[in-house]
Amino acid sequence: MSSFPTSAPSLSFMMRLQRFPRAVAAITVLVLLGGGALLIHSDSQVKVLGMLAAFLLVFALADRSAAGREIAAICGDYSRFSNALAMIAAVAIAIIFSGEHYTLLMLSTVALFATACIGLNIQLAFAGIVNFAGAAFFVIGSYTAGVLTSFPGLPTIAILAIGGLVTGALGLVLLLPVLRTRGHYAALVTMAFGLLLRTFLEVNDTLGGPQGMKIKGFSIFGIDFSRTNSIGPWDVSFYFPYAILSIVLFALAFTFASRLESSWIGVALDAVRSDETAASVFGLSIVRWKAVAFLLGNAIIGVAGAVYGMMNGFVTPNGAGLGESLLLLSIVVLGGLGNMWGAIVAAGIIIVLPEKLQAIQEYRLLIFAMLVLCILLFRPLGILPRPIRDFSRISDGREEGL
Amino acid sequence: MTANLLSCTGLTMRFGGLVALDRLDFTLGRGETVGLVGPNGSGKTTFFNVVTGLYRPSAGTVRLGELDLFAKSPQTIGQAGIVRTFQRSRLMLDQSAFDNIMVGRLSSLDLSLATNIFRRRRLSVELEASIREVRALAHRFNPVIADRLFQPAGSFTMIDRRRIEICRALMARPRVLLLDEPSAGMTHDETRQLMGDLLAFRSELPELAVVLVEHEMDVIRRVSDRCIVLNFGRKIFEGSFEALMADRDVQTAYLGEDA
Repeated sequence: MSSFPTSAPSLSFMMRLQRFPRAVAAITVLVLLGGGALLIHSDSQVKVLGMLAAFLLVFALADRSAAGREIAAICGDYSRFSNALAMIAAVAIAIIFSGEHYTLLMLSTVALFATACIGLNIQLAFAGIVNFAGAAFFVIGSYTAGVLTSFPGLPTIAILAIGGLVTGALGLVLLLPVLRTRGHYAALVTMAFGLLLRTFLEVNDTLGGPQGMKIKGFSIFGIDFSRTNSIGPWDVSFYFPYAILSIVLFALAFTFASRLESSWIGVALDAVRSDETAASVFGLSIVRWKAVAFLLGNAIIGVAGAVYGMMNGFVTPNGAGLGESLLLLSIVVLGGLGNMWGAIVAAGIIIVLPEKLQAIQEYRLLIFAMLVLCILLFRPLGILPRPIRDFSRISDGREEGL
Repeated sequence: MTANLLSCTGLTMRFGGLVALDRLDFTLGRGETVGLVGPNGSGKTTFFNVVTGLYRPSAGTVRLGELDLFAKSPQTIGQAGIVRTFQRSRLMLDQSAFDNIMVGRLSSLDLSLATNIFRRRRLSVELEASIREVRALAHRFNPVIADRLFQPAGSFTMIDRRRIEICRALMARPRVLLLDEPSAGMTHDETRQLMGDLLAFRSELPELAVVLVEHEMDVIRRVSDRCIVLNFGRKIFEGSFEALMADRDVQTAYLGEDA
């Protein structure tokens, strides 16, 4: 990873960086996460704009300079360390802000949308399946949680697991048409599914019709978090457990997807996506791998949807709309196809910014559209492009994920 | 020649009214290299597509040893041991050379979710063995490929990409290898290098049967044991290279009646 051309004067700086790789990775991760947390926490529009400009500047500098690339390479080489640290730091941030409803709500929403986008990434970036029904599957997860929480005594973990299973199973309905169509046509099929699901939910009285459905929050160790607002002597927000759960969920999905990518399955999915003819000549089943990616992706989206539903306390058919699905896809494209960190960065941009900058709220769809167009034109691989798979890392014991 | 490994009889492929392959009889023995030549559109690539299952043949038989492979899926045929390279390069240009070469072996590896996601230690052991194997294979073609195994395939020269494709095919441990115009788009010098590669791995894998489609007659002459000429989907000649050059039907097919 360190084979970038380096200019002579900055060489000694480079050497110094390489001597303390863990420190470099740790500082980078903490600065980025801390900045993100401040952005989410800040309530002044001027501060938000200032921080945004600072982020953009740092990013542009890091992207252009040899030192920046070196730092990125070090973080990549010590990905296990960086990822673990990022998760601990995220939990720490949630604890620091454990009394602030709004900050925690934003934090959880970003983590849950990013988790759903990991599901979409498995489908789109790995297997090449365009899913325009992401929000529909997300909502299926929420509705499943809604139905299940009405049975008291079911543990939360079971609700989440069943949410994922039900979403994956409903995806089976779409599997055959998705496998038998290609490109635009497959995309249209998923779009139709989203519209159908929304209409179905609107007319279905058992699931609450157009008004939607109430969902009970979860409880752990007998503490019902929708009623209490303290754990022992500490005052905590209603959203605190959801923030922790969302971070853990993202970490799990992240680890799963990065291990999937850096395994034989990842290579098989890449082969199927880039050239079905070549893949089938070498004995790979196109149907099998597309089905695996589609079902796994939907299951992950469903689990994220279940937690999101419980956190908000309700779900409506509107959530399954095409606009919401496009929002999820734009996070994937913006962040970088196949890059899990990109998903979190882009989810932050798409979700937090319109909340913070009231001025742009009304024009947010317009601004997102322009943002996605600009990315496609000037940085087609996304904010953080997917790095090339390097198997020599794994055989060295430098694992991906957590 | 030993017993036939690959044998086709009366193999026919029709696209509507067009007969791309016309009752072709074809045999290939263990360790034999057959040069398949013919003018553009004579059915050479169609033959490959039919044998590898990409096209479903209209009539005839295809057998590999005792196995009946007529109209089987590409997956079944690939796993039975017939693999090919393509005329137009079909590599994953964004993925590393190693990943591309491993595609040849994937279908015989453990692709279960349990192993790939949870038994990572086992996977890394398997991975190390694979890296050693791929590196050794690539090294025989060009040490540069072995040194840059984890660079994207798109960053290699045309001839190295073709070598990566051949490595990918060899990783599948084929019994029959179909090479579709390996020298297409190469300079004279590169063609000569590639010919050296072909001769080298032919002598290292004496059991492997090869069908070579090629326009470069020099390559056909040096590499093949026997030649078959197709024209309009029909076999018009079969025999040695010297006999081929002297054959009137072949000359007519290439140069027209009054040549």
